[in-house]
Amino acid sequence: MKFKHIVGLLCAASVSVAFAGGALAEDKVVKIGAVFPLSGNAASAGNHAKAALEVAIDIINNAHPELGNFPLAKNVGLAGLGGAKVEVVFADNQGSPATGQNQALRLITEEKVVALTGAYQSGITLTASAIAEKYGIPFLTGESVAANLTERGFKWFFRTTPIATDFVKVYFDFLTDMKAAGVKTDNVALVHDNTEYGTSVANTITTGFKEKGQPIALDVAYPSNATDVQSQVLQLKEKKPDVAIMISYTSDAILFAKTFQAQDYKPPILLADDAGYSDPSFIKSVGKISQGAFNRSAWSVGPPGSPTAIIAKMYKEKSGDEMDDTAGREMQGFFVLVDAIDRAGSTDPAKIQAALKATDLKPEQLMMGYKGVKFDDKGQNTLASAVIIQLQDGENYVAVWPKANAEKAPVLPYKGW
Amino acid sequence: MSFVLVQVIVGGLLLGAVYALFSSGLTLVWGMMNVVNFAHGDFVMLGMYVAYLVYTLLGAGPLVGAPIAMLVLATLGVVVYFGLIRDIMKGPMLAQILGTFGLALLLRYSVFWWFGANFLTLPENLVGGTLELFGIRVQASRLLAGIVALMVTLGLHLLLTRTSLGSKMLAVAEDSTAAQLMGIRPDSMQAVAWAIAAGATGLAGALIATFFYIVPTVGETLAIVAFVTVSLGGFGSVPGALVAGLLIGVIESLSGYLIGAIYQDIVVYSLFLGFLWFRPQGLMGKS
Amino acid sequence: MRRLAWLSVALALVIAYPLMFSTPFQQRLGALVLLYAIAASAWNIVGGYAGQVSVGHVVFFGCGAYAAMGAYAHFALSPMIGIPAGILFSVLIAAVVGVPTLRLSGHYFSMATIAVAELARLIVTNTDYLGAAVGLSGPTVPRNVLDLSFISALPYYYLFLAVLIITLGITWWMTNSRIGFYLRAIKDSERAARSLGAPASRTKLYAYMLSAGLTSVAGALYAMMFGFVDPESGLGILISVKMLIMAALGGAGLLFGPLVGAAILVPLEEISNSLLGGKGAGLTFVLYGAIIVLIARFQPGGILALIKRRLERRGKAGETIVAAGASHAP
Repeated sequence: MKFKHIVGLLCAASVSVAFAGGALAEDKVVKIGAVFPLSGNAASAGNHAKAALEVAIDIINNAHPELGNFPLAKNVGLAGLGGAKVEVVFADNQGSPATGQNQALRLITEEKVVALTGAYQSGITLTASAIAEKYGIPFLTGESVAANLTERGFKWFFRTTPIATDFVKVYFDFLTDMKAAGVKTDNVALVHDNTEYGTSVANTITTGFKEKGQPIALDVAYPSNATDVQSQVLQLKEKKPDVAIMISYTSDAILFAKTFQAQDYKPPILLADDAGYSDPSFIKSVGKISQGAFNRSAWSVGPPGSPTAIIAKMYKEKSGDEMDDTAGREMQGFFVLVDAIDRAGSTDPAKIQAALKATDLKPEQLMMGYKGVKFDDKGQNTLASAVIIQLQDGENYVAVWPKANAEKAPVLPYKGW
Repeated sequence: MSFVLVQVIVGGLLLGAVYALFSSGLTLVWGMMNVVNFAHGDFVMLGMYVAYLVYTLLGAGPLVGAPIAMLVLATLGVVVYFGLIRDIMKGPMLAQILGTFGLALLLRYSVFWWFGANFLTLPENLVGGTLELFGIRVQASRLLAGIVALMVTLGLHLLLTRTSLGSKMLAVAEDSTAAQLMGIRPDSMQAVAWAIAAGATGLAGALIATFFYIVPTVGETLAIVAFVTVSLGGFGSVPGALVAGLLIGVIESLSGYLIGAIYQDIVVYSLFLGFLWFRPQGLMGKS
Repeated sequence: MRRLAWLSVALALVIAYPLMFSTPFQQRLGALVLLYAIAASAWNIVGGYAGQVSVGHVVFFGCGAYAAMGAYAHFALSPMIGIPAGILFSVLIAAVVGVPTLRLSGHYFSMATIAVAELARLIVTNTDYLGAAVGLSGPTVPRNVLDLSFISALPYYYLFLAVLIITLGITWWMTNSRIGFYLRAIKDSERAARSLGAPASRTKLYAYMLSAGLTSVAGALYAMMFGFVDPESGLGILISVKMLIMAALGGAGLLFGPLVGAAILVPLEEISNSLLGGKGAGLTFVLYGAIIVLIARFQPGGILALIKRRLERRGKAGETIVAAGASHAP
């Protein structure tokens, strides 16, 4: 039957191409693997990550004198490897820990990447980095925040992003400062989904706040990808917390914003934990009715002409969206990884690992607002930090805290619409 | 009864009406043609995107978007029927699940390829914001969807029971050979049934787009709700889908408010399962 | 006799595969095909042979996966303990759920199985002891060979092959036993079978329990290979659907149908992802979906049934075709 032949040919063709293995362009190319959700529910974040990394490759591989002393920007390619260019091989983790691990294996053994980055969802970062550990390939994540990732005793895993325990400190200090300025912050409500992201961050905040003497007053957990959040909003409306900390992915963040408006509910302080609230889709859809929302971020566009502003422009041209904190953190992680390869002067994994361990980047060398990059022996960046930003006009976030990093003063109470 | 509780119940009824709205098409094909359509959620998704396109290209709201979505989806329904459904209908349930699952992926990722992964929304005030009726806050967009749900249920029910087209469709569903002997062409009737169901689903999608987010994978979230609604109501019973939808919406809202949102689906599924175990034909299905 | 010859050749090829295609990714692909073939074959017992289309089989898969990871995470035991423990839990669940659920007809049965699986997923998501949404991890560094945490896919390949052979052996034994006899009767017409004295309810229940136990073994093996399970990857509805479509695509109710289905779908998914996934446009799934649609449209009975018909047509020119196994291919 004709159809059978078509399918057979298709399968045979795919098989033969795939099994031909990765034909390498041998002259001086450093291959790095990137595993991200390029399909499925988190595809929006994954595709933004891809755009961010592509901008980074442009900066690294081409001379960009306008970026001044920003690491890796001046030269063409990697100076430490004789001008070798960097190539990223992207793989789709399809939102599945199994697929993520399979693709990581393929990148390592077929594409012969010298390092890996990714994978957005913490469960997938877990499995993908596990196979990298087995093969002795460095894996650096710029954005996965689950605590257990650095508790496995791994030698090849590194993480540049701040994690939940860092955020607890940021939130608590921010609220303490607001209280000192006369704002009521006694009752804090946590609104979070029950994914691994939502529950782990919520748990860390609950424990952290309790230790600091201000236990969480209300915990509103909801199932992710909800069809309706009216009940949760009504609970908030009833209990009237002073602060609502929102821990949600984009879909639910949008739904909450709309439901807040429908129920005419405005928390005095709305503090979002990045994720959905940083997604450009969120700002485009419901930014105008979420004016005054606080968020935590390590990204700030900065004054015109600054390296961060130039990078923001390049990113906008590549992806069509404004740079958000998550994409920024991924890009920063990638820069740190490539910087280590550059310093190692070699594509030998052990040398890259050593270079990573020796990383000591200063704030001026970073695009994100971290205090620096220095890994402890668990692979965690101990100088990761964040600031508080606010969506004051409903379109753009501006840094508002701490005072040293603030572009504008915080506006209270929450305006909404 | 406390005021908030009334608000919760009203919200649940509106939510349930929406469930019924996008499930009515599914119960039609499932009951009449015995087809398990795993691509149903993605038909809703397509309706949402049509509404989005109508808004961005023509600046028009659901008054224009919904009829256009109905037409587009009905046409797609006919194409899908002749291209795939007619053949897998002859096969066992497995072939239908296989085929419609593949169709779901095809539709979902074609839209993904075209529109990208970003979340899209229609402006909140497209259908007039939020109304306050007797102190209860009701989103106009959800209210519209709820009213249309009632109309669609009534319309489909009347179509099936009071029109000659409807009785022809039912005849084919009951015994296609006998129907053929009476001069009815089963193929045409089934294509019509499928087109009507798809059109109703497109309509649902267009209305939901006025208050929900639009993304290629939204079908995944909605499909399972539709499946539960349809089986609870009884496969093939359009009024059953309405009652089931309303019931599920209210139970979900109430348990979310009283027990905790993370348990609400556990309550719904437990009740659903218990119900099936004791009444295996659903609320209003044929036994 | 000829059948035995074909089988021996096929077995030899399967055994030799990872030695001929020996890159780590190719070996892993092979191991994955076998793993999913085990799950799909287990499903086949109740979905193909008994004709009870369960779309919630992942609950048994999850039993095995969570038992394996739980044994390690909570008791520091080898995840292999998860195999007998998972079998125990899944057979128990099958027994408890099966009695009221198997009474339901066709599509209602399928929906009920979906509800059971979703309930399990939701309960686990909210249960801290089972890792909640974060999930449970296995040994990060294998302590000994019993942890079954290998770098190479080769040991997994042969382990899964052994389990698959056992699974198919059990299935073959079942089809030739009295239970198999009753199942064929029930599948043709349950009412007729009952009126002829076949203990339909009990037979279906046994098939369901057997299927459940074998599915949980697949789940435990999966967890050991990937070292991680969470509610989505261990109890998500997609896994139920995958088991089902592999059996359907290859040929439900046929012994080797699920293996054929797995051998087509698993490489198709992984290879199309490897080729197209990196572009981020979702083309992987457009291709994957299109191929599934084509196969369903043109071969609703499954690929194996098609192959069998072809072989028989060629082998018996001029005779009426009576495909013994194929008469039960839907």
